[in-house]
Amino acid sequence: MKRLIQITLIIAIFALTNIPAQANSPYTTWALGPRGYLVMTQDAYTPFAEIDLPISGAEDMFITPGGIIYIADTGNGRIVKLDDFELVASYGEGVLQGPTGLFVDNDGTMYVADAQQDAIFILDSDGNVINQFGRPTEPLFGRNREFLPRKIAVDARQNLYIISEGSVNGIVQMNTNGNFIGYFGANSATMSLKMILQRLFLTQEQLEQFIKNEAASPSNLAIDHQSLVFTITAGINSWESIRRFTIAGKNIFPEIFGSNTFRDINVSENGLVLAVDSDGAIFEYDLNGTMLFVFVAHDNGEQRLGTVRNPTAIERYEEYIYVLDKDKNALVVYETTAFARQVHDGIRLYMEGFYPEAKPYFEDVLDYNGSFIMAYQAIADAYFKAGDYPNALVAYKYAEDRSGYSQAFWELRNFVLQQYLTQALFGLFGFSLVFQLVKRFDRRYHWFDPIRKWVKDLQAIKLVDDFLFMFRFIKQPADSFYYIKKDLRGSLKFALLIYGWVIVVRALTLYVTGFTFNSYTSLSDIRVENEIVYTVLLFFLWNAANYLVSTISDGEGRIRDVVIGSAYSLFPYVLFALPIALISNVLTLNEIFLHSFALNLMWFWLGIMLFIMAKEIHNYSFSETVRNVLITLFTMVLFVLTGYILYVLFNQLFDFISAIAQELRLRG
Amino acid sequence: MAKLRRIFQSLTVQPLWRETLPKVLALALTHGTNLRQAQWLLRGFIFTGLLLGLGAKPSDTIVPVVNYPSALFTPSATVHTDWPRAQDISDSFVQVGENDDFQLYADETTLAFKVVDKRSGYIWHSNLDEAGEDDRLNRTWTAFAQSGISIDYLDQKATSERASITNTEHTMEFKLINQGFEASVTFLDPSITIVVTVKLEANGVSVEVPFASIQEENPDFKLGLLYVYPFLGATRDESIPGYMFIPDGSGTLIRFGAETKAQNMFYGRYYGADLGIITTLPYDPTINRPYKISIPVMGMVHGEKQQAYIAIVEKGASYGEIQAHPAGIITNFNFLYNAFIYNQSYFQATNRSGAGVTTLQPTTNAFDVAIHYRFLTGDDSDYVGMARSYQEYLVEKGVLQEIVDADDDIGVRLEFLGGEKEKVLFWDRSIPMTTIAQMSDILNNLNVQNPDVIYYGWQPQGASTMPPGSLRVDHKLGDRDELGLLVEAVAAADGHFYLYLDPQAAMWGERGYSTRRDLAMSITNANLVGYNRYKVNYYLNDEALSDLYTSLSTDVFTELQAGLALDGIGSMLYSDFKNNHFLNREDAIQLYQALLAENGGNTAFYTPNDYMFGTMQAYYDIPLTNSGYIYTTEAVPFLQIALAGYVPYYGTALNFSSNLQADLLRHVDFGVYPSYFLTQEVTAKILNTRSNWIYTSSYEQWHQEIEQTYQWLNNLLGPVKGERIVARQALAEGVVATTYSNDKQIVVNYNNAPFSDGDLLVNGQDAIIREVSP
Repeated sequence: MKRLIQITLIIAIFALTNIPAQANSPYTTWALGPRGYLVMTQDAYTPFAEIDLPISGAEDMFITPGGIIYIADTGNGRIVKLDDFELVASYGEGVLQGPTGLFVDNDGTMYVADAQQDAIFILDSDGNVINQFGRPTEPLFGRNREFLPRKIAVDARQNLYIISEGSVNGIVQMNTNGNFIGYFGANSATMSLKMILQRLFLTQEQLEQFIKNEAASPSNLAIDHQSLVFTITAGINSWESIRRFTIAGKNIFPEIFGSNTFRDINVSENGLVLAVDSDGAIFEYDLNGTMLFVFVAHDNGEQRLGTVRNPTAIERYEEYIYVLDKDKNALVVYETTAFARQVHDGIRLYMEGFYPEAKPYFEDVLDYNGSFIMAYQAIADAYFKAGDYPNALVAYKYAEDRSGYSQAFWELRNFVLQQYLTQALFGLFGFSLVFQLVKRFDRRYHWFDPIRKWVKDLQAIKLVDDFLFMFRFIKQPADSFYYIKKDLRGSLKFALLIYGWVIVVRALTLYVTGFTFNSYTSLSDIRVENEIVYTVLLFFLWNAANYLVSTISDGEGRIRDVVIGSAYSLFPYVLFALPIALISNVLTLNEIFLHSFALNLMWFWLGIMLFIMAKEIHNYSFSETVRNVLITLFTMVLFVLTGYILYVLFNQLFDFISAIAQELRLRG
Repeated sequence: MAKLRRIFQSLTVQPLWRETLPKVLALALTHGTNLRQAQWLLRGFIFTGLLLGLGAKPSDTIVPVVNYPSALFTPSATVHTDWPRAQDISDSFVQVGENDDFQLYADETTLAFKVVDKRSGYIWHSNLDEAGEDDRLNRTWTAFAQSGISIDYLDQKATSERASITNTEHTMEFKLINQGFEASVTFLDPSITIVVTVKLEANGVSVEVPFASIQEENPDFKLGLLYVYPFLGATRDESIPGYMFIPDGSGTLIRFGAETKAQNMFYGRYYGADLGIITTLPYDPTINRPYKISIPVMGMVHGEKQQAYIAIVEKGASYGEIQAHPAGIITNFNFLYNAFIYNQSYFQATNRSGAGVTTLQPTTNAFDVAIHYRFLTGDDSDYVGMARSYQEYLVEKGVLQEIVDADDDIGVRLEFLGGEKEKVLFWDRSIPMTTIAQMSDILNNLNVQNPDVIYYGWQPQGASTMPPGSLRVDHKLGDRDELGLLVEAVAAADGHFYLYLDPQAAMWGERGYSTRRDLAMSITNANLVGYNRYKVNYYLNDEALSDLYTSLSTDVFTELQAGLALDGIGSMLYSDFKNNHFLNREDAIQLYQALLAENGGNTAFYTPNDYMFGTMQAYYDIPLTNSGYIYTTEAVPFLQIALAGYVPYYGTALNFSSNLQADLLRHVDFGVYPSYFLTQEVTAKILNTRSNWIYTSSYEQWHQEIEQTYQWLNNLLGPVKGERIVARQALAEGVVATTYSNDKQIVVNYNNAPFSDGDLLVNGQDAIIREVSP
């Protein structure tokens, strides 16, 4: 019998496919492109049909591997079974009151979570109740915990995973006899800045009046073919709204581009994850959490095919997506397009590790859309596996995979090193030999004396002297600041030059830092004007704040001293930032320590210099200096705050005036 | 696998709340689609669109209704003629006209008319004589159904009141004129007078309401809407087999049925909403808006191949709209009609946070109404007959002229992106995507005939800048002499060369126009904002538009000897409320037509409205389907049939197709020529620009595809080039045959399985062409 049903369903689906999806899709489809941007792409799913059903407020749906559709007909208190979109049977009438969660296993046994009775029902394939149970009696469940089952899933070992509303401990795991096994996959509570402040300042009594900071409970779940549990959680950060748990309850799903109003999730046998949110946005991911497609199929009242109003469940069967709409009492069906099929085929192979086999699929995908970044990743991995490192390097860069790029670069560098190391060593040896010789001859014949004299003459020019003065700070910083204070060396002109120099270096480092270490993936993303404005603002704030603070706390420095002193304090950045950025081009992630250590050292040195500057210029003791620097920083923050408040106030004023003008013009 | 995860670590997925409102607004205008911004895009806009009409009633039948809104392949129901006809004319009607084919009767109290089609004896009723017992009509609706015209009038608070002739105090002056009558109705409550003229003409009946005759004597009341013969041809439930036709997309049918999935009636404003009233068309790249209604035509079929009529709005379409009621919404009648908007309320915000008042527009829209009802009978009574009747009408009026092209090869639209700009440091850098030299290489190598070559983004700095007043090409793309040579070469190869121009658009945030002087203003005194090709723009006022078009077109037409592919102006119609310079939609149409007539030259249009058909060398981006309203039944090639044999029409660029084969089959079925977007350089170069909606375009990737599809389509559509479509029918589920005027027939099989019938064999997902006996 079941066999027959399967066959008729397949025929029915086949008959449907004869009619190509026709209407213009009401949405555009987006894929993940470079730098986390969404890029428009060909439709992955096109609207196919909307099927009205004799149901009411249905909350859940399940499609068996054979293609039979079961729907939890919540409003009518029953489970309905559809074959060829015709209602062929209904179960649990009179027993169920408000089924909201439904799972059907391979034998046709139905597991139902009833929200009206807060109980779980297990029905056999004819609809007879096998078992029903409510709140677990085990003390381990928690004395005050409520049992409000809403959704249910069952794994291959017949463990029941039950979403209980408001359960902070996660999913309730039970067996078919109603025994409590344990909690599973809890979310973690998040602490916002506001909460931290509340905890700091409020009394215990006040705190208790606020809602307790508890973990959000998952809102729906799915089980994949490896018996791993997926949960979605509404109302939390969209990037952690989907979780995939190992048997041990550890989340192995990465941060994703998601939604914070997810309603249902579905995982297909070939590893494609679908999720729908309350607006009708449908997301598709692979098992690693890479978003493949997203489109918003929301009905804004136009009643176009392929839009949903209040989706409650999503399922995939073969090339079709079925979305259950609680308001429309209908199934909205989407059909996979040729383009999406290409992507899916590639991903299936890629996930199974057949990189070279997956490559042609992704190359085709790139022909259709050159911004489909996932394809570059797969192609890069294929090149890497094949040992074609130069091509892998290029592809990794397109895929913006820094570690992949770094690995490919390591291979290439290794090759170059092996080939040219001997030559390079000889070269180095030869160079030092020549250097020593020249040095020796110079000592004897004074070859370079004219140059030395020229430099000495040059020093008579003030700016050159100011420049050379900078190097004095390396060895004798304290003394040097004293010189500035006494107007012996350094000048305002050169100080400004240093500030300008810092800005140039800042901009340059952004451009010349190697791909592996550059925070910008594409040089065109760099907003130089912003960097310049920020840097100038920082200079201004520091100098102004430091001078103002020092004048009222017995600081001796004049404004001139502060400006010049601060400028010279920046010399570690001026001298070392650029070389570090350049060196990053030949480093890989294996040597990340070198790069970050050098950078940290530079910043630390700069900080020390500023500290010494404040101490010497203002003639402070150590503790006074610490206080001075802290107050300076605080003042800087206040400056920014004041600026912001003024901006808001003026905005309001402008609003007020323009409103009056509008009103006058209209009425007058 | 770890690598994939690492991509995500490199992405900064940021929380929603960090977004501040101004940022989002700015984003909406700059087409940012960065990850976190997209989060906003994806949900933010949606709420704004949420309309009324929730809460579907659970269907009480146990049989689920599978709905394929646009299954255009269903064979027409076997013709049955045993449906009940109301073939009586009550005594209150007197004959007021007669010609070869028709008799016209009128009732002087209700202004209703009846038309007897002498060819078949069929009687068309413009109204409901008597409400039946089962009819779900209240008193207002009964009066609406019985009266020839009804109005909505507005008081000063903008509340609207319906008045029909039979339920409102009125005075009437009825007089007979040659072949018809003229009646002047004064609705006494609001003191509004309207003069209606109904006349018999060769193909049916014309109804006119001249603007000069409309009087609003009480300053407290304004004429809001005018309903013209709303119950003409109305049918109860499914008592009569047939359908309503609405010009959504390529054409859409709503079959008569006892119930409908619609929750509201269908409102379709001709030529789209008036930006002058709504001010902004919110930019939302995540949705595909429904098609605008580009031709003021609607119709109804009573029994397929038996009786039909088509209503063509000759005058007043710019303020008209279709309102179609499938049975099951409010009433049990299927009816559709034209309504005309004379006054509208609008919301005037008085401060930036959005508070304000609702007021009436200051002056009544000035336009004449003229509608032609053409009655069809016998074999012409289906959508093909309607489309042919519309074609006939256009030809009679001299609007549609045959674009003659000697040879037998079909055209192909190749649209090249020239340049686009990208922001670097403090300035913009133009990225040359296809230079003139590269374009000419591509055209030399590509094995296609009769190409329509369009150059998009030719202006200095490329596609997202304002086009210059004189012909200047971006210097990185080449110079005018090179362009001249290319134009000659294309012409020599029987092609056409066009420069892309959207003469209405003032690109947002660009130089080249004055925001104070050159822009059109809405009724709320703000600049109109809309978008086209995913670029946000303001709209130029008539002077600025005329200046730009006149100076540029002179250069292009006379010096370059090329054409202009006009976007925007053909499809976007707005009124301009600028102080002392009011321009309504009717005026705007006149202005555009005059402007194009003064500056004669080759012009092709993107999805033009009917008023541009007269100056159209080619129709681009023709819809291949409809908007997919779930209460509609089928998409039909009405627009294509109306144009076939006169103007060549091209589809949307096939680069962006997600099911190429299915789309190609539809091209063959509808007789549509293919289109492609091309660049020489790889598409990734424009990823950071406003043209990133072109996500695939490189010649390298597409040239084989283009040649293959062109050859395939040319073999099928070449033999019927320049021929009219005379019939179209479904041979079986998913198999469609279209017959042309030279007795050639194209059979398209959308199914996967082969189709055979007698000696006809069509492979799955394929099409053939054959001779048929007339």
